[in-house]
Amino acid sequence: MAYQPKPPDGWVKTNIKYTKERGSVAWILHRITGLGLTAYIFVHIYALTSLTQGPKAFDDEMKLFQTPVFHVLEWLLFSLVIYHALNGMRIVIVDWANGARYHKKLLAVVYGLGVVLFIGMGILMFREPIANMFASLR
Amino acid sequence: MYNHTGSRGSGAPGWVLQRITGVLLFVVVLTHFFVMHANPASGHTYAAVLARMHDPFWKMFDLTFITVGLWHGLNGTWGVFRDYKMKPAVSLTIYGAIILSGIAFWVLGVNTILSF
Repeated sequence: MAYQPKPPDGWVKTNIKYTKERGSVAWILHRITGLGLTAYIFVHIYALTSLTQGPKAFDDEMKLFQTPVFHVLEWLLFSLVIYHALNGMRIVIVDWANGARYHKKLLAVVYGLGVVLFIGMGILMFREPIANMFASLR
Repeated sequence: MYNHTGSRGSGAPGWVLQRITGVLLFVVVLTHFFVMHANPASGHTYAAVLARMHDPFWKMFDLTFITVGLWHGLNGTWGVFRDYKMKPAVSLTIYGAIILSGIAFWVLGVNTILSF
């Protein structure tokens, strides 16, 4: 008898059920962050073309970017950067070293180190407001 | 010997280069983020950027970032699309859009850096 594929479970079930594996979640996050960062590099390159329009155009633009709202957005951007960077190294280790044997341990390292570096980056970026906040408490 | 079928090639060179550029970008992007984004005091005025642009190291750094970053990002984007079954016309349109936008923004970025 010819091979009969299983009847499809429906679009939602087929596309959701494999996400139960941690590795699949990591894979999807890697794609989303990758597409996000690619979109960002386009915006970044376009935004900095104002450098060719002289000092005033550029400094006016930077006044907008050097505001608290954009600093928070930059911090959130770092979450994409650090996840994609660390998980990317995990992919390289899985593909080119013996990482397939311990890729879930590596995943724990990715998430753990990622959270630590994200919080560390937050402290580094907002060191002045944080210092001012503590100074005002004294 | 099994030959891959279809007109797109096996994608193996892109796969290897995606990893090589990825390791390179690990260093480049994190350096860029720590120097520029993490540190508002590093100088975001026109004068400060101009001073950096006259330093061959940062000039080369930024040219590398634009070239490798765009290639890695767009090769990854194409990798996402490749996972889906597309009609040849759709596939060709998306591939063309990726190549053209890559060239356009590479020229835009390199033009900005090399105008100093």
